[in-house]
Amino acid sequence: MATARLIEPLGRRLKPAVEGAAEELARVLPRLALEARQVSAHVALGIHGRRRAGPGETFWQFRPFTSGEPADRIDWRRSARDDRLYVREREWETASTYWIWMDCSPSMGFVSSLSQTPKRDRAIVLGLAMADLLVRGGERVGLLGLTTPLITRNIVQRLAQSLVAGGPALEADFPAGAIPGPRDRVLLFGDFIIESAAFRSGLGVLTSRGASGVAVQVRDPVESLFPFSGETEFIDPEGGQRWTVGDAEAVKAQYRQRLDAHEAALRAATTASGWSFLGHRTDQSAATGLLAMAMVLQYGTGAAQGRA
Amino acid sequence: MFGLPILFAAPAVLIALAGLPVLYYLLRVTPPPPRRVPLPTLPLVKDLIAVERQPSRTPWWLLALRLLLAAAAILALAGPQWNPNATQPGQGTGPLVLLIDNGWASAPDWPLRRERAIALLEAAASRAVAVRTTAEEPQEILPGPARAAIEKVRGLQPVPHTPERGRQAQALRSFLAANPAAEAVWITDLTLVGDAEPTVAELLREAGQRLRIVAAKDGGARAILSATNERDALLVRLARTATGSAGAVGLVRALDARGRLVGEAPFDFQAGESAQARITVPLELRNEIARVEIADGQSAGAVHLLDAGAQRRRVAIISGETTDTAQPLVSGVYFVSRALTPYASVQEAARGADPLQRALEDRPEVVVLVDVGTVSGQAFDKLDTFVQEGGVLIRFAGSGLAASSDALLPVKLRRGGRILGGTLSWEKPQALAPFPDGSPFAGLSVPADIAIERQVLAEPEPALTERTWATLTDGTPLVTAARRGKGMVILYHVTADTSWSNLPLSGLFVDMLRRMVSFAATSGNRAETGTDMINPRRVLDGYGTFVTPPPTARPIARGRGGVAVADHPPGFYGPSEASVALNTLAADARLSSLDIGGTATDSLEERPPVDLRAPLLTLVFALALIDMLAVLWLAGLLGRRALPGAAALMLAAGLWAGAGDPALAQGGQPSRPLPVVSKDDMDSSYQMRLAYVITGNSEIDETSKLGLTGLTRALATRTAFEPGPPIGVDPAKNELVYYAVIYWPITADQPLPGEAALKKIDQFMRNGGTVIFDTRDALTFRTGSATPSAETRRLRQLLASLDIPALEPVPRDHVLTKTFYLLDKVIGRYAQGETWIEALPRGGVDEKRPARAGDRVSPIIITANDLAAAWASDRSGNPRFPMVPGEPRQREMALRTGINLVMYAMTGNYKADQVHIPALLERLGQ
Repeated sequence: MATARLIEPLGRRLKPAVEGAAEELARVLPRLALEARQVSAHVALGIHGRRRAGPGETFWQFRPFTSGEPADRIDWRRSARDDRLYVREREWETASTYWIWMDCSPSMGFVSSLSQTPKRDRAIVLGLAMADLLVRGGERVGLLGLTTPLITRNIVQRLAQSLVAGGPALEADFPAGAIPGPRDRVLLFGDFIIESAAFRSGLGVLTSRGASGVAVQVRDPVESLFPFSGETEFIDPEGGQRWTVGDAEAVKAQYRQRLDAHEAALRAATTASGWSFLGHRTDQSAATGLLAMAMVLQYGTGAAQGRA
Repeated sequence: MFGLPILFAAPAVLIALAGLPVLYYLLRVTPPPPRRVPLPTLPLVKDLIAVERQPSRTPWWLLALRLLLAAAAILALAGPQWNPNATQPGQGTGPLVLLIDNGWASAPDWPLRRERAIALLEAAASRAVAVRTTAEEPQEILPGPARAAIEKVRGLQPVPHTPERGRQAQALRSFLAANPAAEAVWITDLTLVGDAEPTVAELLREAGQRLRIVAAKDGGARAILSATNERDALLVRLARTATGSAGAVGLVRALDARGRLVGEAPFDFQAGESAQARITVPLELRNEIARVEIADGQSAGAVHLLDAGAQRRRVAIISGETTDTAQPLVSGVYFVSRALTPYASVQEAARGADPLQRALEDRPEVVVLVDVGTVSGQAFDKLDTFVQEGGVLIRFAGSGLAASSDALLPVKLRRGGRILGGTLSWEKPQALAPFPDGSPFAGLSVPADIAIERQVLAEPEPALTERTWATLTDGTPLVTAARRGKGMVILYHVTADTSWSNLPLSGLFVDMLRRMVSFAATSGNRAETGTDMINPRRVLDGYGTFVTPPPTARPIARGRGGVAVADHPPGFYGPSEASVALNTLAADARLSSLDIGGTATDSLEERPPVDLRAPLLTLVFALALIDMLAVLWLAGLLGRRALPGAAALMLAAGLWAGAGDPALAQGGQPSRPLPVVSKDDMDSSYQMRLAYVITGNSEIDETSKLGLTGLTRALATRTAFEPGPPIGVDPAKNELVYYAVIYWPITADQPLPGEAALKKIDQFMRNGGTVIFDTRDALTFRTGSATPSAETRRLRQLLASLDIPALEPVPRDHVLTKTFYLLDKVIGRYAQGETWIEALPRGGVDEKRPARAGDRVSPIIITANDLAAAWASDRSGNPRFPMVPGEPRQREMALRTGINLVMYAMTGNYKADQVHIPALLERLGQ
């Protein structure tokens, strides 16, 4: 039978005033950051072509002018050096900014014997790895509500530091207060244990200026499988509520049904808002989740149908 | 402990009480706490079960119940005892005076009183204390250290008389008055004999709170006031102080001078303060009674001693009058018998030939001859013998005696007699002079109106004065007495009827007769020794047991009467043949409870400490049951309707478990029932005893039983072996393993034993037992005759199926003839019969030894000499059967034969081996 426990909330543990921030950073985040790097490195191998000509401002390459093209694209200065006409191409630059939000609420601090990885850790790994991946892909990445969009090589460290300094925004079940701009993309990592209506309305707020994104639901296998039997007392890590079940086995079916319905509602809400929804379980490897996400980002929702 | 009178056998267990908080913590969550699992998705699913269960905390009452259960269990294991004896005297600092009643009434619970006194003194160890007993001489009270007082108390014993409380109370009273800080404790028996003593009441009134009384809560004293011989029974009158039901019924026992039980009778006080018991035994036995006691009375007051004076005498009255039958109510016999009947067993001789002889056959102690002139011939001899052997002969004069007399008189009489106040006499009727001091009548008051009109006169002689017990005012003897042998002859010089005097009409006549009868057993002693001082011989202690007189006991004057005091403890005084009994209580003593008013009283009874374990464990059990019910109810397993039923069921189950079969409880499976052991077998296993086989012929069985009883007696008196009473066994039914030797008389019609019995006999013989078969036919059949007797045939049939070794007639050197006595042959009721025994191996090294024996005891001995009949004797020890041929020592030899047989069966070849002793000693020496 699965056992599960809660880990210390991140914010509380990393609060500098309480404990040495450097020590805690050295303790937790380097590991996560390293993991994120490794994960993103694996995934990056499969993604090419971003470095190519496209709308942008920096020079990319000269190419021969093909007839029929607008004549104003001809770079006359280059074309003057010989008798061929060249077109000056600029590197394709994405105008979109990626906002990453990772749920660090107490409910994320849950780890069971079936996975060994806390949900929060997995969410952070996925988020930081995604940030690394995106920065390497030339995107600007920021923590929703915490940082400005950054494009820097040490994005992982920067974001980690911001996480440490993060305030109550991290404790919420759903990001609130910050509204991404149009064409920004939002990556949400969390368990989304909120009413589907609240989820939909929150999503509506996020998309109010035209942003789109991906919601990655991180779950512990225990949460999905409900491998309990006998008299069990369940404790809500956030509300402290208790729920004693005389025979957990008896409610397993109902539980799964309820959770599937919830997930379906979330999926429906994301689809309706033009978002993508990905499920991720902590017993999967982080790379799998990251790959599925990258596919979704690159090719749309259809590329990674269902669960990642 | 904790101010409560509770003691713990194992107080260390109480430390476990400290663990109760832990238990509280453990018990808070129960039934077994569910697994607690964090579940983040809980908000989504918490409405799956409509009712969110409350945190499963044990209800407070269940928690309290369990804690109580645990506490009760711990307390029960600590072995608590409720000890209510915690009262102590006031914790003052001034001197403490302990006054202890140590009269006879304190004796039954004296150890209790002493312990209580010691406890009180130990509790007051830091104070100056003084101990006074009510029986000791009052002295000035000087408190001293408690140690010395305790030593004194340890040596205290109850006294056998009734102490005067008054003087001691007076001393205590003045001490309390002189020492305002002093306190007093009075351990009293609350028994008051006679009138209340005013000093005690004053002491109680003045002392107030400073005096505490320790007394037994119930019971009170019981005493025997008197024991009088009535016509058909010994009437014992008892009194007591309390009127409760405790000690209201009991048993009065009568013992003779040697302490043997003569009779006993129950008594019942019911609700009153007095009771009677009648010990109905024949007069001869009644006269043996020297001591009457309340069974387990344990005090001198519960013992009443009877001396010879209390014995009821057998009096025979023989009349020489012939004409008084016409008017029996004025005859002398009538007066005498009426006067004696209350005090003696009077027997009037029947009319007819030789009434004296027939009267003497009833062995009277006193013979009264009313106007019998001359006793002669054979009757005289018998009467003379009777007197010589200690009888008392009382003769009344009369016309017959005046005419002629015989030698059985104390004085010589003149012929004719003397008439006073008659028409032919100058003299007036004479009155009675006061009795002289030496007379047994001394002390009786003489009524003035007694007039003697006629008397017989004694010839003057030197011894006349000392033989005179009563005289008339002019000095002529009225009653004379003389010793004759061991007995005494007393003569009234007047008639027993009213024709010569009006003495028979007065109460004095009754008293005089009574005194004369009362020393029938002590006849002569009084007259001879007079009013001497007699020494105490055996006296009672406070507990009512006989002890040798203490040095403080002083002699009393014979005829002192009264009750015992400190100097004269109760008991027997004087020589054993003429003892005078002095008793603790007078016959008319009044027993009552001492009035202590409202003084605070502590109970003397150390109420036995109550073991609280059982109730506590019961509580634990009940609580556990309730707990089980409650848990079931909480779990919803019990409907409301099922609850009472389940409760009853569990209670029943609990009771069953409580009273369950311990064997079942321990083993889990029922143990095999053990074979029933009969009482006889059980007794036989405790004590070695002889056994005989029951033949079914009651006469022979009786003979066997009597014979073995006689042999058992002989064994017990002559040897170190003291067997228990012999027992008849049936080989088919009884276990034989307990017996070493079994005597088996053979009858011709005896049924042959069955297969199982034969097996048992075979087993018995093989395991070293000896069976003595006795055909008892030596008289009728000679061994080796052609036609064996019916018994012998029967024996042959019987032995045919047994494994019998080779037999031979008992050789002269067989160890059987040497085991205890040296015998020539086996002799029983018949001497000529042959006796067979297992043949000893011939030859060998011990051929020349004086005693030979095999390696084992012969399993079988066959004789024809009817051994049991030789041993049999009746209850008084007389032989039951004549011996054949009846040589003088044959019975003795038969007994010796029996002793040798038993010794042989029990010791085997031990005696044969004794011949080796010189050789062994020689070897040891080297």
